[in-house]
Amino acid sequence: MAMGRNSRRIMGLTGHYAGLIAFAIFTAFPLWWAASVGLSTNPENMYSFPRSFWPTEPGLLWFAKVFTDMPFLTYLKNSTIMAVMTVVGVVIVSVLAGYPLARLKFVGSKTIFVIIILTMMLPSEVAMIPNFITMKHLHLINEYLGATVINFSAAFGIFLMKQAFEMVPQDLIDAARVDGATEMQILWRIMVPVSAPSIAALGIFTLVNAWNDYLWPSIILTSREKLPLAVGVFNDLTGPFATSDSMVMAAIVMTVIPVLVFFAFTQRYFVSGMDGAVK
Amino acid sequence: MASVTLKGIKKSYTKDVTVIKGVDLQIKDGEFVVFVGPSGCGKSTLLRMIAGLEDITEGELMIGDALANDVHASKRGIAMVFQSYALYPHMSVYDNMAFSLKLAGADKAEIDKRVQRAAEILQITHLLERKPKALSGGQRQRVAIGRAIVREPQVFLFDEPLSNLDASLRLNMRVELSKLHADLKTTMIYVTHDQVEAMTLADRIVVFNAGVVQQVGSPLEMYENPANLFVAGFLGSPKMNLLEAQLVGVENGLAVVRLPKGITVRAAVDASRATAGSKVTLGVRPEHIQLATEGDVGIPARVDLVEHLGDIVLAYVEIPGVNDILAVKLPGHYTNLKRGDAVRLVFPETSALVFDEAGLAFKRTV
Ligand SMILES: Nc1ncnc2c1ncn2[C@@H]1O[C@H](COP(=O)(O)OP(=O)(O)OP(=O)(O)O)[C@@H](O)[C@H]1O
Ligand SMILES: [Mg+2]
Repeated sequence: MAMGRNSRRIMGLTGHYAGLIAFAIFTAFPLWWAASVGLSTNPENMYSFPRSFWPTEPGLLWFAKVFTDMPFLTYLKNSTIMAVMTVVGVVIVSVLAGYPLARLKFVGSKTIFVIIILTMMLPSEVAMIPNFITMKHLHLINEYLGATVINFSAAFGIFLMKQAFEMVPQDLIDAARVDGATEMQILWRIMVPVSAPSIAALGIFTLVNAWNDYLWPSIILTSREKLPLAVGVFNDLTGPFATSDSMVMAAIVMTVIPVLVFFAFTQRYFVSGMDGAVK
Repeated sequence: MASVTLKGIKKSYTKDVTVIKGVDLQIKDGEFVVFVGPSGCGKSTLLRMIAGLEDITEGELMIGDALANDVHASKRGIAMVFQSYALYPHMSVYDNMAFSLKLAGADKAEIDKRVQRAAEILQITHLLERKPKALSGGQRQRVAIGRAIVREPQVFLFDEPLSNLDASLRLNMRVELSKLHADLKTTMIYVTHDQVEAMTLADRIVVFNAGVVQQVGSPLEMYENPANLFVAGFLGSPKMNLLEAQLVGVENGLAVVRLPKGITVRAAVDASRATAGSKVTLGVRPEHIQLATEGDVGIPARVDLVEHLGDIVLAYVEIPGVNDILAVKLPGHYTNLKRGDAVRLVFPETSALVFDEAGLAFKRTV
């Protein structure tokens, strides 16, 4: 009988792993292919299928060229600055908007929330012309702030933080209130730390979006030395003056790596922040 | 330390629903007062109003000599322990206890002194560095109490602090809370729906039902002289036996009531304000019912179920013609009592109570 149970368990686990591995291959495959092409110093097999799935004469030639043939580090710096600005901006706005919507009673709070959610239904392209004119009047054309500020007030982030704050037990807030905390202290010293997993999720989600943002930065940033990776790589390596597709692949891989590293380091913040609070 | 005075306190969450319907209460300095009542009767609401976590719709709340209605929760000199403990999960035990003092801007040495002292009282010194999630339920409750102690409040408020603990731990903590009160001599207001906690902890018990105070008094006084049917049925385990009856006669200092089938019972109460023939309720506690011995007259009854608890025997008996099953608490040596036995019951007249048609108790005469 014990054997029976064991083999059933093993079969179950095998099923789980097979499913997960299949999914991992499915999502990671394009990146793998790009890496394989980028690592091939000899590009002759680039378009042969499936030979291009593993490198031909592996080497870092194209990766080195990414650094020499284009201002990769400048783009990387710009992307980093803009991504960090966006993450900070989104988190602050979402926290400050989510808290009253979740916790304070005031007339019209439901209506305001619905209006905020409705903005998610609009494609962001609709706002581009008004945003551009606004940025022009604020003298934010060709500024990092101009390229990011329009994303600070994200309906999704406000929604996420509202949900997270609603999960915090009322007793915890009452305890802090009895302990003498002001509304702001309750927010920053209790609500925010307790909601860390949601904030981490919001941060990573925002970071990836900001990192990959292409259209708006390409419109509002006019000088080459302010371009982020997504725009810079595309501008420099594609189009009529494109040099090599191998280099495009190498650049793409290099563009993705910082996000992966960030992900690896922030993963641990996803554990629940509420353990031990109540009961 | 301070007294707490409630004058005509009312609370409505919505316009048409009043949860607390006018409470007048004087809690003396240093007193341990327990609020009991069934679920939903408004105990927590009243406590939260005293704490300043809920607006007072109407009435006056005085803490000490000062009107506290509009004073912020943190300025009322109260500390509250929640049923859910409500520990800050991201802070260590030490920081949980120090939080209020830090917010108040106390200096480090003072904070440390107070936290260490509270930790000593509660024997949690070895836990100070831990996070709440690494504590057991009992330890968490101690931390929650410690967080209240460090504030050196004038009034402690407890909202069912022990109800999430298992039975033996609850007993331990109950004893410790009693000791804590003896040591600190601070006014304490304690909410529970557990009548054992109420009986053992309280200097005075306040029994609530549906937002109205039913009776206020010391545990024994309330146990022996419940003011009405609700209190009579609420305190005591098993509950007081309550039987529908008819008042047939009022003698000097004695009421005679008749149960169905012509059984009469005498009770030493003054029922002169009621008229003979009116409907009343006879109340006898399970431990006061005796079994008749040879020669005694008694009410014939049949045993329905027997529970041997070791120290006592609980018998559930049925009187022919009476709908309710009566609980009888007998000494442990009635070991051969069994289901189906015929017994004769004696209701001693000095311990029987009678309640009038409206449910109010007649005064005892002895
Ligand atoms: N925020 C609120 N809004 C509306 N009604 C409420 C609110 N809080 C409590 N009530 C109502 O007030 C009544 C009293 O609630 P309360 O929590 O004081 O009961 P309780 O005596 O503490 O009960 P328990 O023993 O179950 O804790 C209940 O009927 C409850 O539904
Ligand atoms: Mg309650």
